[in-house]
Amino acid sequence: MSAGVAARSEHDIAAMIDASAADPDRCADLLREDHEIYAQRGAAAVVRLRGWILLTLARTGITDRTLVHVLEELDAGLDPYLVAAAAHALRTYPRRSPDLAPFLMRAIENVTAHDEPISFEQYGEYATADVSTSPLQEVFETLAWLGPAARAILPQLETLRRKSHALSKARRRDLDRLIANLRNATAVDEKACCSPPFGIRDLWSSARGRTTPPSIGDTRLEDHDGNSLTFDDLCRGHVTIAIFFYTRCDNPLKCSLSVTKLGRLQRLIEERGLTGQIHTAAMTYDPAFDLPDRLRRYGQLRGMRPNAENRLLRAPDGIDPLRRHFALGVSFIESLVNRHRIEAYILDAEGRPVYAFERLRWDEQAVLDRAVEVLNRRETGEAPTTPARSIVSSAMTVMASLAWALFPKCPMCWAAYVSAFGIAGLDRLPYLPWVQPVLAAAMIITLGTTWLRARETGRLEGACLVTVGVILIVLTRFGTLDAAGWGLALTLLGSVIGAFAPRIAHNRAVPA
Amino acid sequence: MSKKRPAAKKSAKAAKKTAPRRQGMSVVMNKRGGVPERLAAFTNLSLSKPGSDDALESLLEILRDTEEPIDVRLRALQTLGAAAFASPSFPAIERDYIATLRQVATDPDPELRQQVLGILAREKDGFAQKKLLEGLRDPAKALVPPEKALQLLAYDIHAEAYPLAREIVNHPPNAIAKREALRLLGADPGAVPIFERILRDKTETPEIRQVSAAALHGLDPNRLQAQVREIVLDPAEQDEMRETSLTAIKQLAPAAVAQDKQLMDRVAQLSSEGSEPVKLSARQLLGKYPR
Repeated sequence: MSAGVAARSEHDIAAMIDASAADPDRCADLLREDHEIYAQRGAAAVVRLRGWILLTLARTGITDRTLVHVLEELDAGLDPYLVAAAAHALRTYPRRSPDLAPFLMRAIENVTAHDEPISFEQYGEYATADVSTSPLQEVFETLAWLGPAARAILPQLETLRRKSHALSKARRRDLDRLIANLRNATAVDEKACCSPPFGIRDLWSSARGRTTPPSIGDTRLEDHDGNSLTFDDLCRGHVTIAIFFYTRCDNPLKCSLSVTKLGRLQRLIEERGLTGQIHTAAMTYDPAFDLPDRLRRYGQLRGMRPNAENRLLRAPDGIDPLRRHFALGVSFIESLVNRHRIEAYILDAEGRPVYAFERLRWDEQAVLDRAVEVLNRRETGEAPTTPARSIVSSAMTVMASLAWALFPKCPMCWAAYVSAFGIAGLDRLPYLPWVQPVLAAAMIITLGTTWLRARETGRLEGACLVTVGVILIVLTRFGTLDAAGWGLALTLLGSVIGAFAPRIAHNRAVPA
Repeated sequence: MSKKRPAAKKSAKAAKKTAPRRQGMSVVMNKRGGVPERLAAFTNLSLSKPGSDDALESLLEILRDTEEPIDVRLRALQTLGAAAFASPSFPAIERDYIATLRQVATDPDPELRQQVLGILAREKDGFAQKKLLEGLRDPAKALVPPEKALQLLAYDIHAEAYPLAREIVNHPPNAIAKREALRLLGADPGAVPIFERILRDKTETPEIRQVSAAALHGLDPNRLQAQVREIVLDPAEQDEMRETSLTAIKQLAPAAVAQDKQLMDRVAQLSSEGSEPVKLSARQLLGKYPR
């Protein structure tokens, strides 16, 4: 993307979005908040652009990668156009999962008071007559599309129907029809084939897969009391739960709620006796406006008790170093935020983001559990799991199993191998009988790490396959069975599945 | 006499309850009726009671109808505005209401336009913001005067209005527009240097300088204190600004200001030498920090 993109008119950008329709990945990339198409535009323009991108994505169909952007708007979006576009787009997702219904219910709660007329006909068009659609209309249509998979929210829909004055006649009719259909529908098994490819409820992700961030240890920060400190001072020697916010955010489901949740986290940390080991930090996107007094009052009003271990902070020299370090999902018009996502990070004692909770509303307990996990790793010296590390580990498992299975049992076998390798000039390799127990030990160790990884990711399939594979190899080695090939194949398959488990988790919340 | 069935009884009771509203509505909707009578009938609509969807829809019809007398349309708008808070039926027509307001925002009547844009701007409506910004960029497209557009855009800090407001501060079409532009910039940290410059500019009116002082306090209280100190020390300053500065020090400065000997000496001097309002403010400040 050229530097000139930011200077192009909104309609030119809209034409660019249209042109990307055939390439969903390129189109989805435009949803990154830090994309230059949003720079120096008003919030209303950003809404128009993002809504248009969602509608464009809907033309080719929402994919697993783009689903989180749709759910984000349904979960915490308040803008009628974006909520309507997200609900509209969701109907093009290939799976009708019960996991989607609560997001639609939340969208109803969020926009019932803002059920404005919306037009999808042309870019930037505002409906001036009631021949248009509306967020509630789109959400109801999507619930109808979801069919029996929406049955879990039937009681909430019935409660909404009892407050019928909140809906127009047309929406009441839609709701009546929806309720009648859901009452007659058979409940869908949540574990059936139609679930999304990942558990939507489990939204943590590893942030270590990103490129190594530049060092920001010396970046100057100022806390709610006006105390100066560096980023290193903030993070060194403990785990930190950091969120981003700004006091002028007009979406109470984003910044205000995140700071409130951080206040609750502070209490949870105390209740679990982790004071001093886990700190919290709320960092503003808007350091020029969010001066210490303002930060302190904002935090206190939302239940935070600011102190040296639970700080509200600003970067007085500008947010850019933090923006690069965390790859923040935020865009600006001058110094003012025009769009941001929900984002919370767990930082290790060096200030590296180990886990990221992005886009969807996070759960305090889940964040604390992850922080405790990082804390325990630090205490046991275990490095956090990364996709690269897990792939190396899996490769080691396979190599050890292969080597142990194929290792020659006696000098005769060795001679046979040597004759085979002779072509490659390996005939001078000595016979080393001590390597066999070493490889066996390596295989056991890697089997253990596979299970540890499975416990961590909650994905047991890979570890089970590796176990069966190792058993088959061992039985073959002792002559009980002749299934070395099966053993190797299962070990390989299980290792690959285990290795890719964290990648899927990573994609859940860090799609870029 | 036969006993009425419960359903019929209920329906008769409901009809009795809504009768005054229906009567009032028929007068309001009667295009042949006199304007004063129609305006008076608006007070009998009882829209705060449930089941007023139809009446609200009729009011939207009046608002849209360019053939209706403007006073009746304005009253319909006012009544709908009140119903937005008071009527339980209002959410049912909200979508039509917003669509109607957007339609009427470009009405030929300037008062109606201004009121409607005001309602939409308070809701941070993207359509209204777009129209207001267009009008500021191109006066030929303006639906309201620039000062009004700035005032309405100030409801939303995210409305992309800061660059235009800065332009208006530098090249104001009139004094009121300049004041409104400064008020709007009061939420823009990038405008701190503008406020400092205007606050120290003796050629500006005291009103404009006072607006700048208030904005600077919101954006950077320390810089305001530095500026007002200079104003108090400056022997060539306007009296009104001296008074404002003394008040700002008294109300907003940290207690450490009492240690600023040069400043406190000057305040003591002003308490006996200045105009009456300046003397009073200086004495109040000295009263807060006795020497």
